[in-house]
Amino acid sequence: MASLKDKLPAIDPRGFVLPLLLIVVWQAVTSSGWVDTRIIMPPSAVLSAGWKWLNSGLALESIGASLFRDASGFVLGAAAGITIGLLFGTSKLANNVFGPTFHTLKHISIFAWIPLLSAFFGRDDLAKIVFIAFATLYPVALATIEGVRSIAKSQYEVADVYGFTPRQALFRLILPAASPQIITGLHLGLIFAWLATMGAEFLLASTGEGLGMTVIRGRAAFRVDLIIFGMLIIGAFGMLLNELATRAESRLLHWRGHAR
Amino acid sequence: MSTIQSLDKPLVIEPLASLLPRISIPSLGNLPARFGRIGLGIIFPLLLLYLWQIATERVWLPPQLLPEPAFVWETLVDMVSSGELAGHLAVSLQRVLWSVLIGGSIGLAIGFAMGLSKTAKAYLYPSFSLFSQFPVIAWSPLMIIFFGIDEALKISTITVAVIVPFAVATYKGIENVPVKLREVGQIYQFSFAQTLWRIALPAALPAILGGVRQGAMQAWLALVFVELLASSEGLGYLLVYARNLMQLDVVMVCMATIGLVGLIFDFALGFIERHFSRWAPKGR
Amino acid sequence: MKKFVSLIATALIAVGLPLAAQAQENPKTIRIAFSSAGVGGKPAAASGLLATAHQRGILEKEFAKDGIKVEWTFFVGAGPATNEALALKKIDFATQGDLPLVVARANGLRTRILLTDSRFSRNYVVVPTASTIQTLEDLRGKKITVQKGTAGQLTLNRLLTQVGLKESDLKVIDMISDSQKAALSTGDVDAAIQSSTDLVVRGLVRRIYKIEDPKLQAPSQVWVAEEFEAKYPHIVQRFVTALLRESVWAVDEKNRDELFRLWSKTGNPYSDYKEDFKGWALRDRLNPLIDEYYTSSLNKSIAEVKQFRFVRRDVTADGWIEPKYQQAALKELKLEGFWDEFDADGKRKKPAGK
Repeated sequence: MASLKDKLPAIDPRGFVLPLLLIVVWQAVTSSGWVDTRIIMPPSAVLSAGWKWLNSGLALESIGASLFRDASGFVLGAAAGITIGLLFGTSKLANNVFGPTFHTLKHISIFAWIPLLSAFFGRDDLAKIVFIAFATLYPVALATIEGVRSIAKSQYEVADVYGFTPRQALFRLILPAASPQIITGLHLGLIFAWLATMGAEFLLASTGEGLGMTVIRGRAAFRVDLIIFGMLIIGAFGMLLNELATRAESRLLHWRGHAR
Repeated sequence: MSTIQSLDKPLVIEPLASLLPRISIPSLGNLPARFGRIGLGIIFPLLLLYLWQIATERVWLPPQLLPEPAFVWETLVDMVSSGELAGHLAVSLQRVLWSVLIGGSIGLAIGFAMGLSKTAKAYLYPSFSLFSQFPVIAWSPLMIIFFGIDEALKISTITVAVIVPFAVATYKGIENVPVKLREVGQIYQFSFAQTLWRIALPAALPAILGGVRQGAMQAWLALVFVELLASSEGLGYLLVYARNLMQLDVVMVCMATIGLVGLIFDFALGFIERHFSRWAPKGR
Repeated sequence: MKKFVSLIATALIAVGLPLAAQAQENPKTIRIAFSSAGVGGKPAAASGLLATAHQRGILEKEFAKDGIKVEWTFFVGAGPATNEALALKKIDFATQGDLPLVVARANGLRTRILLTDSRFSRNYVVVPTASTIQTLEDLRGKKITVQKGTAGQLTLNRLLTQVGLKESDLKVIDMISDSQKAALSTGDVDAAIQSSTDLVVRGLVRRIYKIEDPKLQAPSQVWVAEEFEAKYPHIVQRFVTALLRESVWAVDEKNRDELFRLWSKTGNPYSDYKEDFKGWALRDRLNPLIDEYYTSSLNKSIAEVKQFRFVRRDVTADGWIEPKYQQAALKELKLEGFWDEFDADGKRKKPAGK
């Protein structure tokens, strides 16, 4: 058993030097009037604008709308990704027929799909969610393929000996054996989904609320304080999602370790 | 060790490695099987093309959503021969090149600092890992405020995207330099420069090249995003233009170009990476 | 018992038949789109007949009695977004400027033009106050922003042609209107086409050119999707009639203040509209007629869209305009002759102020 100390790395105070320095410099240059405070807002202004926004009710709506898009897109994309991954991983024929196309299309940077997606799905939530699902699909599918391929031949032979039906093979052998990679893929997919959520809100301009939309409108209204605060919130949620995923990942893998 | 592991674990980057294709080098022994595979791989795209043709002939989808293949081909030929495509491509590539150079240098410096000096790591790592978790595109509105919407915006946004993979790869590469090699350095009483040049760099080279490849892919991703956001030239600009005028043929040509460049980046840098990894001192 | 059942059946038929007949004829909802949105994506529009009807709930009132819902959409992505929605069959009626309108038709989207929504709008080429740009010629090599694919882009091209420039002689950057204002005030762009006054009042931009020539800009129009019109012509008629009835209120000079106040719900200041309409009779700006000015302007736009290579397929105006609904409405409302007709040059055909 790993000791507690291993799990909680000792906090090294030196790590705080840089962020603190940044805040001090930031405060100093703004309060000294060396810079145009319309462009570089003091930290206090950012905090107070953020506080106002958080209390306005609009914040909850924005965060809720973004998380909803993120979650819907992620779930759709993850489901599709795992399905495709299992198909390619288990069936040589499917892999040989569809694989090359799949692996070629992957090189089209995801944002380049936006104009095509908007032609097919408009610019509202549907288009955004499809885009997020799309961004999630690739990392999940690729990880799943890798996971399924890493299953040793001998394990399949064992399954053969026990006379597993394909269904049994899937649930008792393939999924459990490939789960570390799949979980890593899901983790990565979650990061991509959040990135895509922001990208969709920036690039698929529409009415409605969202964190990305708040920031982009903050830019249009020249609200630097709101932009910075919005960015911090976006980053914080990104980290939160990552952290949750990391914990879920280690817990799941831990559990799996016991189950074996 | 496990402390370092948990610190290292995370970033967006490590898992990113799994996004990159595994290019299997086919053995030359089973050529017929290989051709069979290639043949199978071509079936699906051909089928798609056929379906596309039928779909446009029978107007399953309105032409504004699905222009006919011949029309898209004509557009491609048109755009290539007029030099329009090449012009925009050149602009985009230039942006990526500069960003990779700038972001790469910064990333290398951060990676080397964190990898070689425990003190530097203690100062830098927490801020760096925080920084690396912000989606690059979330930075863009702030970048616009600071840098305007010109080249500075594009270069800075793409640069930010490049720094993280470079730094992580370099750092990890140096972390993984075999202890024996380090000991050799100590025995010979290498200076810092010598350690860097003779031990750290060669040993970490494959990892760094891996970082170059990831950095280039990240740069390409960020480029398309930032060009879509605001630009007056480049492939992303062409995409916006065509989208707003419902020229899906041009959109498709742009996407194909973007995909092709991504593919070439990946293969070329992957090739270099493999080439150098054979050289690297083994002995882990 | 049997009697009871047959009674119920009769009752059901009696109630159900007209309902069924109605369901066959009437849509459940009418989906109307504006190729614009208010400041910060506010669901509001301004400067036209349809926007006024939206603010005053006229169409809701008209269709409420039949249980038909009216749905409004506001596209931040402007005309191009409207076209995407039309291609997806998500909208039935919309207002649009000339470039996206022609682009849609070139791409096979079928609409029928019902009436003009507004005309003779005033726009300005504006530059940041400190800029050295004085004339249109100075724009060469400079960064100008328009929302790509909207009427503004076509207007820009017309302007440039006047001084012997092309779009490729400038750096033209796509931005939605909110972003345009931000970019102008930070000096991120060198010029834009704007009607709004607030940046001028705040001393951030300077107007270098007034776009007022009716040949430089086209009227905006209201169209119905061809499919919808084929299915529900009577609804289209009621839509047009209700709009024209409303227009009488909208063009009444007594309501000028009220009108601008309604429009300022977009988040644009009241003063914008006051200034924009200064010196104009509401009746001329909000003129719904499909007159010579409109048809010639449309034909001109079609030719220019092709000339500037915004589309590569041919476009024909044949059968595009459908004036019969408007004519019927004018007759029914006894409004024939209420609005003046304008000729191809945008000049009044009959003496004003009858």
